[in-house]
Amino acid sequence: MDVLDELRKVADNPYGYARRLKGEGRAVIGYFCSYTPEEIIFAAGAHSMRLFGTHGEISRADAHLQAYCCSVVRGALEEALSGELNFLEGAVFPHTCDSIQRLSDIWRLTTRFKFFADVVLPVKLTTESSRMYMVEVLERFARELESAFGAGITGEKYLDSIRTFNKLRAGMADLYRLRSARPGIVSGSDFLAVVKAAMSMERRACADMITRLAGELGKKGPSSNAGGGKRIMLAGGVCDHPDVYRLIEESGGVVVWDDLCTGTRAFEGMIREGGNPLEAITERYMTRLACPAKHRSLTERGERLVRDAKEHKVRGVIFLLLKFCDPHDFDYPYLKESLDREGIPSMLVELEHQLPPEGQLRTRFETFMHTI
Amino acid sequence: MTESAAGRDKRKFASAKKMRDIMTSYYIEAKSAKETGKKVAWITSGGPVEPLIAMDIIPVYPENHGAMIGASKMGGNLCEKAGEMGYSDDLCSYARADIACSLVNGGPIGGLPAPDMLICCNNICGTVLKWYEIQARYYKVPLFIFDTPFCHTGYGDEVKRYVRRQIDEYIAFLEESSGKKFDHDRMMEVGKYSVEAQVLWQSVLDTAMTKPSPMTCFDAFFFLALIVTLRGMEVTVDFYRGLLEEMRERVKEGIGAVPRERYRLLWDNLPIWYRIKWLSDIFTAHEACLVADTYTSAWCGQLKYMDEGRFLDSMAEGYTRVYLNIGVDEMIKSVLEMVDKYGVDGFVMHSNRSCKPYSLGQYDIRRAVQEKRGIPSVIIESHMVDDRSFSESQAETRIDAFMEILRESKGKRGA
Amino acid sequence: MRGDISGRRRESPGCTVEKPGSGATAIEERDEEMYTAGIDVGSITAKAAVFKDGAVLGTKVIFTGYSAGDAGRRVYEELLGELGLDASSVSRIVSTGYGRNSVTFASKAMTEIICHGAGAHFLNPHVRSVIDVGGQDSKVIILNGEGRVSDFAMNDKCAAGTGRFLEVMARALEVDLADFGQLSLVSDEPSRISSICTVFAESEVISLISKGEQRKNIIAGIHDAVASRIAALAKRTGIRPPVMMTGGVARNIGVVKALERKLELPIEVLESAQTNGAIGAAVIAARHG
Repeated sequence: MDVLDELRKVADNPYGYARRLKGEGRAVIGYFCSYTPEEIIFAAGAHSMRLFGTHGEISRADAHLQAYCCSVVRGALEEALSGELNFLEGAVFPHTCDSIQRLSDIWRLTTRFKFFADVVLPVKLTTESSRMYMVEVLERFARELESAFGAGITGEKYLDSIRTFNKLRAGMADLYRLRSARPGIVSGSDFLAVVKAAMSMERRACADMITRLAGELGKKGPSSNAGGGKRIMLAGGVCDHPDVYRLIEESGGVVVWDDLCTGTRAFEGMIREGGNPLEAITERYMTRLACPAKHRSLTERGERLVRDAKEHKVRGVIFLLLKFCDPHDFDYPYLKESLDREGIPSMLVELEHQLPPEGQLRTRFETFMHTI
Repeated sequence: MTESAAGRDKRKFASAKKMRDIMTSYYIEAKSAKETGKKVAWITSGGPVEPLIAMDIIPVYPENHGAMIGASKMGGNLCEKAGEMGYSDDLCSYARADIACSLVNGGPIGGLPAPDMLICCNNICGTVLKWYEIQARYYKVPLFIFDTPFCHTGYGDEVKRYVRRQIDEYIAFLEESSGKKFDHDRMMEVGKYSVEAQVLWQSVLDTAMTKPSPMTCFDAFFFLALIVTLRGMEVTVDFYRGLLEEMRERVKEGIGAVPRERYRLLWDNLPIWYRIKWLSDIFTAHEACLVADTYTSAWCGQLKYMDEGRFLDSMAEGYTRVYLNIGVDEMIKSVLEMVDKYGVDGFVMHSNRSCKPYSLGQYDIRRAVQEKRGIPSVIIESHMVDDRSFSESQAETRIDAFMEILRESKGKRGA
Repeated sequence: MRGDISGRRRESPGCTVEKPGSGATAIEERDEEMYTAGIDVGSITAKAAVFKDGAVLGTKVIFTGYSAGDAGRRVYEELLGELGLDASSVSRIVSTGYGRNSVTFASKAMTEIICHGAGAHFLNPHVRSVIDVGGQDSKVIILNGEGRVSDFAMNDKCAAGTGRFLEVMARALEVDLADFGQLSLVSDEPSRISSICTVFAESEVISLISKGEQRKNIIAGIHDAVASRIAALAKRTGIRPPVMMTGGVARNIGVVKALERKLELPIEVLESAQTNGAIGAAVIAARHG
């Protein structure tokens, strides 16, 4: 089977895949945030699996969370309560935002998984004291994993894990470069499938496959971009709707870059191989492109967005913001202004677990493509 | 249900005017800081204000400002303005109103005095981080982030070390921003006043244990202003001493805040600032007194961690373990303690779209209180400052139905 | 290719975007002799317009009904019949509106935002902003000097600020929606409807009715509430004068006046407000003949 097919299969049915892994004796741990130190989970012999929440109806979670909580949080709790996530050994909650923080409490108090961990990372990533604190938080998390899974995490295991994640992230970086150089070389929904697979598949196998995929695509001739799609960058939080990518393409756009949590922010930056592993892991989380729920600088996000948009020669930026996501909503006016100042057009789409009527989205995308 | 003019007069607080005077001169001083050469620091409501007072920097509270905007019913217009600026209507209405106000210098006091520095402590929410980043860009002033890790289930050593280190960083930041040396003796004095004011505030709130209660939570919402803005100052200690005396006098004379108090209720979450009087009238008409709330007690709930002898050290824990920075199960414990302490018959929860850390989890708290104490509860939804998303008739219907249930259940229990 | 309608259709039915550089600025004034048509199939009504030699020959409005495709064909054929034209004399058809892709005989489908922009620019070349408020959504369209859409915004899925909001309120008040505009103009003191949610606002209206508030004042308050929502969208998008309002709600003088007050700008409303999208589509069809 072709590599892309295999990755697609995992992305289409990540829970089925996770159940198989569990059957093979692997402990599966759910997570919600790109700051989750997956490298430690992997080193402890467990498997980390990103949860996006249901795309179906939400009813059980309504007994715990108001409608003005985002659909990722409500949708994840729904699945935890419905039994959909029974393959999980447990979940880990890096502090992230006000909503994830409360999800952690409600999850801890209402679900019956064996493993549970809060990893309350620092919110500011600019000081020596916050760096030291992060190292200590990671040490605590490592101890919790060790006691839950019964094995000590040796330096060798750390090194192997760091190498695996570096390989995976290097592969993703290659794919990003290819996509920017040859737009359309992978369709938007296929790219999303690769991203999702990189967050749910057994990481060693996944790193191999992504490396192979990047190699194969690199050898292929110049891509079609037959439709002459306009170069688009996506910005925002979580988007796991393949239809959004399809509609953008059908409207005449082609995504060449992103600043998404389900995108570059999850893959940017390599971890130093050698030295104290937790210090090395901390370094990456302290310096990678920040999520708006973290503080690294007052202006970095705007500057990076403009820089990336220019570097990848995008015609326009589409903001995909999850409804009720406060950190992103607060940053939006300033990011848009940063783009406006440079004359880079942008548009905003609010997403929830179920997409708005396709007609409305299509109208917006088509109009946007026409105006840029 | 009307009462005589004499009855109403009896219920008025002499301290109210005193507090208005103190707040007025405080805002005048803050607004004339440029002329007097004093520095102004904007600080979050849960932030460590004492070092500012020790350094003679004037603390200004955008959240208190937000409350004033809401109480003067100017929130809707300012939030509309924020919407025009691109801010989603789903965001905290304190933040939206304040951000819009900076641009138009609107609101009840014509805008806040511009800050020389910003102090953001995230022990109340993640929203303040974004809000203060926006203001730091707008006013181009330095921002200090006092990062208090969330305490889901406890207060680990690593948290303790991190927060304590930040207190030193905070002081260094203040020295640099103000060009003045930090005075540790003065800090000791301010710390003493701060703890004393918190003790007094707790005692004021405790007078509501009496039946009938001499005060309602609506009074507490009002008298809260000083403990939020000026704790650590002598004038605040004097004020709360006077207020406590006034409350004790009422207790002695048997004056209840609500004529014919029959039901005692607990309020959860921030006030609905633009409907305080309306809500107070509705509950009074039902002969129900909101004797306590989880909100105003947050400014004295950490006394157990505070030690005025080692103020700065104990402050680290005190500021990190505030009510909004702890797990839902710990919140449940707090609420149950309040139910017992104040003899509460029913629970009124404000589901506040403006405040996710306060509101998400309320359904579980509600269930726990119902199960463990068997008291009924009601949920009213709003955005605390943005009156465009409030339905008076929906709230009124819910409260009426809740009071019917309460009357019935209390009747059955033979109270 | 003239007259060869099916041959002009792009390979993918969803792919309706111009080739780069062929936007509204690159007008090729050809086919002056030929007729072009625009068909705008909205959620409630379907509109058609026929265009020739730089002028609108006629327009028509019918109810959309169940089938968007049928409605598009019907309104087009009926208009041709009224004008005494044969389909073969129409060189090019552009479809627009929610049902634009159901009009299979059109040469091209364009979004209603582009078409409203083009229609407004054709009818008044000075217009820089178009506010289009229809039954289920509201749009603010910003035009550059050449009439090209430079920015736009649409309401979110909430009904406040749309024609639907007015319909709900008309039902609560038991007043014919068509009378809303005139009634509100005689109001001396508009009621304050603070809620931005349609459901909450309805209950506010009901409680105003029960308090004995006069209808005209309630209706004026409702118009203020709708105008507030639209004005917020407009200001967020950077509205600039001159402003034209199109869509069904533009016929409600009360909303237009309230919006003028909120925006502090005069608003132009043309007789053709409802058929503006179809006219714009016909204009675009002529450009790319």
